[in-house]
Amino acid sequence: MKNKSNRQKVFIHILLIGGAVLTLVPFLWMVLTSLKTMTEAVQVPPIIFPERFRWENYEKALSILPFGKFYYNTIVSTAWRTIGQILFCSMAAYAFARIEFPAKETIFLILLSVLMVPGQIFLIPQYLIISKIGLLNTVTALVLPGLFSAFGTFLLRQFFMTFPKSLEEAAILDGCNHFRIYWNVMMPLAVPGLVALAIFTILAGWNDLMWPLIVNTSMDKMTLSAGLASLQGQHLTDYPVLMAGAIAAIWPMILIFILFQRSFVEGIAITGTKG
Amino acid sequence: MKRRDKNTRTRHVNHLSNKRLNDWMWAYLMIFPTTAGLFVFYIYPFFQSFFYSFTDLGSFGQYAWVGLQNYVRLVGDTEVWQALLNTVIYTVLSVPVGICLSILIAALLNSKIKGLGTYRTLYFLPAVTMPVAIAMVWRWLYNMDYGLINSILERFSIEGRAWVSDPKFALYSVIIVAIWSTVGYNMVIILAGMQQCSRTYYEAAEIDGAGTITKFFKITIPLITPTLFFVTVMSLIRAFQVFDTIYLMIERNSTALERTQSLVYLYYRNAFILHEKGYASANVMVLFVIILIITYIQFKSQNKWVHYE
Amino acid sequence: MGIKRNLLVFLVICVSIALIAGCGAGQKGTGSGTPENASEGTSKEPPITISYGLWDKSLQPIYRKIADEFEKAHSNITVNVDVSPWNEYWTKLEAAATGGTLPDVFWMNGPNIVRYAEANILMPIDDRLAKDNVDLTNYPQSLVKLYTVEEKNYTMPLFWDTSALWYNKEIFDNAGVPYPDDTWDFEKLKEVAAQLTDKSKDIYGIAAKMHNQGGYYNTILQAGGFIISEDRKTSGFDKPETIEGIKVWPDLINEGLSPTFQQMLDTSQTSLFESGKLAMIYDGSWMYPQYSKNDYLKDKLGITVMPKLKQRGGVLHGVGAAISAKTKNPDAAWKFLKFLGSQEANDIFAQEQGGLPAYLPSVDVFVEQETEKGYNVKAFLEQVEYATMYPCSKYTSKWQEQETKYLKRVWAGEMSAEEACKKIAEEMNRILATE
Repeated sequence: MKNKSNRQKVFIHILLIGGAVLTLVPFLWMVLTSLKTMTEAVQVPPIIFPERFRWENYEKALSILPFGKFYYNTIVSTAWRTIGQILFCSMAAYAFARIEFPAKETIFLILLSVLMVPGQIFLIPQYLIISKIGLLNTVTALVLPGLFSAFGTFLLRQFFMTFPKSLEEAAILDGCNHFRIYWNVMMPLAVPGLVALAIFTILAGWNDLMWPLIVNTSMDKMTLSAGLASLQGQHLTDYPVLMAGAIAAIWPMILIFILFQRSFVEGIAITGTKG
Repeated sequence: MKRRDKNTRTRHVNHLSNKRLNDWMWAYLMIFPTTAGLFVFYIYPFFQSFFYSFTDLGSFGQYAWVGLQNYVRLVGDTEVWQALLNTVIYTVLSVPVGICLSILIAALLNSKIKGLGTYRTLYFLPAVTMPVAIAMVWRWLYNMDYGLINSILERFSIEGRAWVSDPKFALYSVIIVAIWSTVGYNMVIILAGMQQCSRTYYEAAEIDGAGTITKFFKITIPLITPTLFFVTVMSLIRAFQVFDTIYLMIERNSTALERTQSLVYLYYRNAFILHEKGYASANVMVLFVIILIITYIQFKSQNKWVHYE
Repeated sequence: MGIKRNLLVFLVICVSIALIAGCGAGQKGTGSGTPENASEGTSKEPPITISYGLWDKSLQPIYRKIADEFEKAHSNITVNVDVSPWNEYWTKLEAAATGGTLPDVFWMNGPNIVRYAEANILMPIDDRLAKDNVDLTNYPQSLVKLYTVEEKNYTMPLFWDTSALWYNKEIFDNAGVPYPDDTWDFEKLKEVAAQLTDKSKDIYGIAAKMHNQGGYYNTILQAGGFIISEDRKTSGFDKPETIEGIKVWPDLINEGLSPTFQQMLDTSQTSLFESGKLAMIYDGSWMYPQYSKNDYLKDKLGITVMPKLKQRGGVLHGVGAAISAKTKNPDAAWKFLKFLGSQEANDIFAQEQGGLPAYLPSVDVFVEQETEKGYNVKAFLEQVEYATMYPCSKYTSKWQEQETKYLKRVWAGEMSAEEACKKIAEEMNRILATE
């Protein structure tokens, strides 16, 4: 019996390691290619390790594009989007979950329908709005449409709905208004949901491509994702430098993920089980 | 008797309506930022696009009303049908295969195994990696002459292909990347669902002498159906809106483009490359209707297979 | 509990990043536009920032240098040089034009000039040219003509380009084959390409890239065909000569002298050439800054005129800089445009190996300097004599889309050149009829 379960465990590990290898190979290949010369990279059959690690590929990638600016723009815009969504979505979610008011269902359904619409549909009109208020080529332009989220409202509403009715009844008896109940009673309890939303928003903001590409033309207002796409654009044909650029763009998020992995995993899990 | 009852009720109503007004005020105040923001940046643009789908909006914002012309043209446009087919193939393959793999990995990880945290971290890595970087490295792996994949295949004497440039394979290559990059994410959600399953069901089943496989299909799967429902709905919506991977992986003048472009990609091409924004808006309206129908069917069929405790 | 604390720490970090960074951004925002800064400038004029949009990354540093020179002379004007990759340049420009937020000065090309000019998006510069006595006779007249729509000129010519045959001297030397020269015809090209193709070393004699300006437009003209009629009303794609000029390319692939179409989609001609896998390529002079500065190529690079088919021929194109009709700083934009056309700017362009500057006297600077280094850049110039202007009409991008749609099937071997050209001619004539 014990033997059998041990054998089973080994089998499971083999499967899992196999899967993990498949997941990791592209990353490893990215790192290895980034340390080769172009000639080494196109050798047939491919060599795994370069003769010497070419760290200068990173220097080259970082000198072609203003990565410092990219980091700054990406971090700032993502942070603002996250805060905005947490605040605005939770407020709306509270109202939709805990207060009765006229046209509630209708408004909620209309907002929810935004989820069904492919994002590209909004591009041109959003661009025109941003340009009309004179915000093109600013970090604010990167943030603005992302401050509001139907998904976030939906997610947090589900979260708020699970709390027992008794929670606010006590508070109402104490004469608290809704904002106080929301802020003092509900928000502290909703922290896991808020973190879940935060992580969702951070990932979306970090990876967003089309919007920053369209709205910000100048290099020093671009995000990592858009900057990387333009590195791949016209004429840059040096694969090792491309890979070096890609690694320069992805490591911060991977680091944050590894540092806060439990929060990430819990947060993502919450979006699935509460949603 | 009757009278008194009515009296208390009016009093009650009066009291309530004061509270109610107060409630309403707070509710409207609190939903205002999100509602206003969504209206300005999402809902109004949606209606604007809807309007444009009846115009010949081209370059630089000039347009004229053309009625249903765009929709008529759409029905006869083979590219639209091909794009629809591509999108359907993409969705039908990437979503079920991706979710099955996620369930499998989640089940393996849920078997009280050592190193759970490490595995979970590794599998989740693609989810925190930019699509641009993912597309870049996969294009490089898929490269016909210098790609890792072909050189491995060569070891087994299998002839290499131009995985992303050959119209026969390109769509499937993109699907593999899509699965690779979403499995970990869905797995984490499903695993969390599994971990919430109560032990008691399993103990009961063990007494009945149920094996691992039986327990998995008879207990685990039914218990996680709400999670699976969520994951499926979100994956379907996302799959139908696929754009980034195709945009980044397929060269614009590749013959594989027609066989891979999704409806959203077609929209992008019509709107931004061919300068036919009116027609492009009609394209995207079709996509919207399709997503609406699928979501509706999903929610309707929910009762048939989703078990809420 | 530990998890919750972790979550909180995470949120706090997020908020603080946003706050700190936000404050920083705020200060910057107020700092740059305030009038106090004006006093720093030597002139009394208020500080102005103009933007200059272009698509070629390898020319960005050169134009930065030119902008620096300009800023030295105009202390109140700051120029931002913004590069967008080719794939996004026109998308962005169109969005910006629709929103009225174009860069003050930006690049224009032949396929787009008519559309932009007719939509009144560009500022005609004739009056300003006349007022400041700027004489455009020292620029290629065909370029000036290209950017003149209904008698109005919209751009300052910046540089021009023709295509040439580029080769890797090392591969020729190793095979003991003499370098290509101006006596070659296409048969000779094929013969040598066959000699140089060595599949065991993964080397091909030539690349049949599917590219109009850098490829088949030239061979169409060399075969005696044409792309669009003089009056811009009919397509030339159904002419037997045109078909002949297109066919030579898929033939190169079919005869195994070039990598296949799919191979070249996976690894671009440029990558292959830069890693010593191609002996010869056709490419435009706009690639000069990239190839001549490439570490691997720079001491192996050879350039010569394109071999002839029936006759000599080629397309000529050039990029011009236009001013947005809605610019808030028309005077500053004009000053910068004028400077872009000046001898000084063109000389910098030439000295920095940018390619062929539009100001003709500066071309000599470029040719002299590069010939000294051993690059036969005269080849670009020689071809101008018999070159034809890049074909354009109002909806160029529309019929070029059709062109690509069918020709790529020819390159991929899925369709015959005859069939594809017939289709293209039909579609193109239909589009031209709507103009």
